[in-house]
Amino acid sequence: MTAADGGDGNLANLTLVEAAEAVRTGQATSRALLDACWANLEKANPVLNATIWLDRERADADAKAADRAVAEGKPLGKLHGVPMAHKDMYYQAGRLSTAGSALRRNWRPAITGTAVARMAEQGAYVFGGLNMAEFAQNPTGHNKTFGDCHNPWNPPYITGGSSSGSGAAVAARMTFAALGSDTGGSIRLPAAACGVSGIKPTQTRVSRYGAMPLSFSHDNVGPLCRTARDCARIMTVIAGQDPMDPTSSREPVPDYEAALTGDIRGLRIGVPSTFFLDTVDAPVLAAMEDALAVLQARGATIVRMTLPLMDAVAAYGGIVSRVEAATIHAQWMRDDPQAYGQHISSRMFPGYAIPAPYYIESLSRRGPILRAFAAEVFAKVDVLATPTIPTCLPTLAETDIDHGPPGTEYKFLAVSINTRPFNYLGLPAVSVNCGFDPNGCPIGLQIAGRPFGEARILRVADAYQRDTDFHTGRPGVLS
Amino acid sequence: MNDFPTATEAAIARWFAVAPPNDPGRRMVADLTHTIAAFEALRGSMVFEDEPSSFEAALLATKETGL
Repeated sequence: MTAADGGDGNLANLTLVEAAEAVRTGQATSRALLDACWANLEKANPVLNATIWLDRERADADAKAADRAVAEGKPLGKLHGVPMAHKDMYYQAGRLSTAGSALRRNWRPAITGTAVARMAEQGAYVFGGLNMAEFAQNPTGHNKTFGDCHNPWNPPYITGGSSSGSGAAVAARMTFAALGSDTGGSIRLPAAACGVSGIKPTQTRVSRYGAMPLSFSHDNVGPLCRTARDCARIMTVIAGQDPMDPTSSREPVPDYEAALTGDIRGLRIGVPSTFFLDTVDAPVLAAMEDALAVLQARGATIVRMTLPLMDAVAAYGGIVSRVEAATIHAQWMRDDPQAYGQHISSRMFPGYAIPAPYYIESLSRRGPILRAFAAEVFAKVDVLATPTIPTCLPTLAETDIDHGPPGTEYKFLAVSINTRPFNYLGLPAVSVNCGFDPNGCPIGLQIAGRPFGEARILRVADAYQRDTDFHTGRPGVLS
Repeated sequence: MNDFPTATEAAIARWFAVAPPNDPGRRMVADLTHTIAAFEALRGSMVFEDEPSSFEAALLATKETGL
């Protein structure tokens, strides 16, 4: 159909934007898109374990209704007829929402989350729930109850988490897009590890209504897709104030897709020389430098710099997430702690020992720290660029706290060291694939910007993807 | 600090009725000494800000304005 389908006519190779256009113009039916995704699902999922539940019967009915609307000439939304599956923590009235946990194995909410509802208003439909870390609480993709999720490029390696199934399913062309959630990197990490694109929006940019909470202060809803343009399409649909989530911002929502001009002339890209590169592996650093050269060739300027306040950001941010997660899970931690994987309950347990004044101090300094950080950093640069994950990917075995030796937790926690700071700061950040490590696993480039600067960081990501083809690669699991 | 993990576990049990779930949990409680050290290092570095909602104001005050 297009160059993007790999020339083999496989509709699942289309990007989200191309798939929506194909349905809108009658070049493809929604049913054909669903069939194409399903074929990849049947091929890859036995290896990846990317799904928790599937509902083909309802998806068939939704596809039929979508195709009928096209035939009848009805107004079509931006996502009309596009089948999707999401991290299994988004509430859809009457449908399963396990949160990846035995504690919610059979739970069916009575409400539908705003992000899912807004995509449905634009014509998308949901065919399944995707694997995830239990209660969105790990950066690797381990899951005690539903089984670990495996990397589509090299299955013994981690997918990144906590939106593990979202990253794996998008990479393996099982879905055109998937919602993830990001409290410390849970969209960007699987995007990086699985070689796809994912954006954590500004704190308050997207409603959290109907998304299982983990940390009231740090939770964000956002998409994982194959391209930055696909992310822009989803963001335009889901962003914006929501009466059901009083924390959501009233800031106007731009057309993020319209901002993707490819023009980054004069853009100043800050590259932190410390913290984000402290533990970087050589292949990751080389891939990031190559990516920066691509952006430089498009007219951007690279500024090497040291970021202020990173010790405070790391210390305070860790407190907020740990205390809020421990609070939310207190009853289950009392009643049924063994229902959690050890890597989940062990990390929550210390949260009960953190004094309330530490927590209040951490929250109350968040605003002043953001102001000071922004004043110093964004006076010099427009965006920041870092590796999303500073090291080559570890294997699932190397990061298995439940079965590994003492000390495994440090390797486990190191995965998210570069993503967590932007949750405390509340800044938007996108991750795109910028190469592969010696094990054939993807490497992610993280681009962060000012609050409500999603359009700018997506423009940078899109500009990068115009000159590179890492985002078009097909993982080995589809061979 | 050798009795720190035991004392901390006892405090958690008293305040929350949550027991140590496993050995990694015990190790992570012991690691709270690093958290305390990080906080100690920050003392005096900033003036206390007593308006918790200022984060939302800061997001707006520092927002992207050009493109």
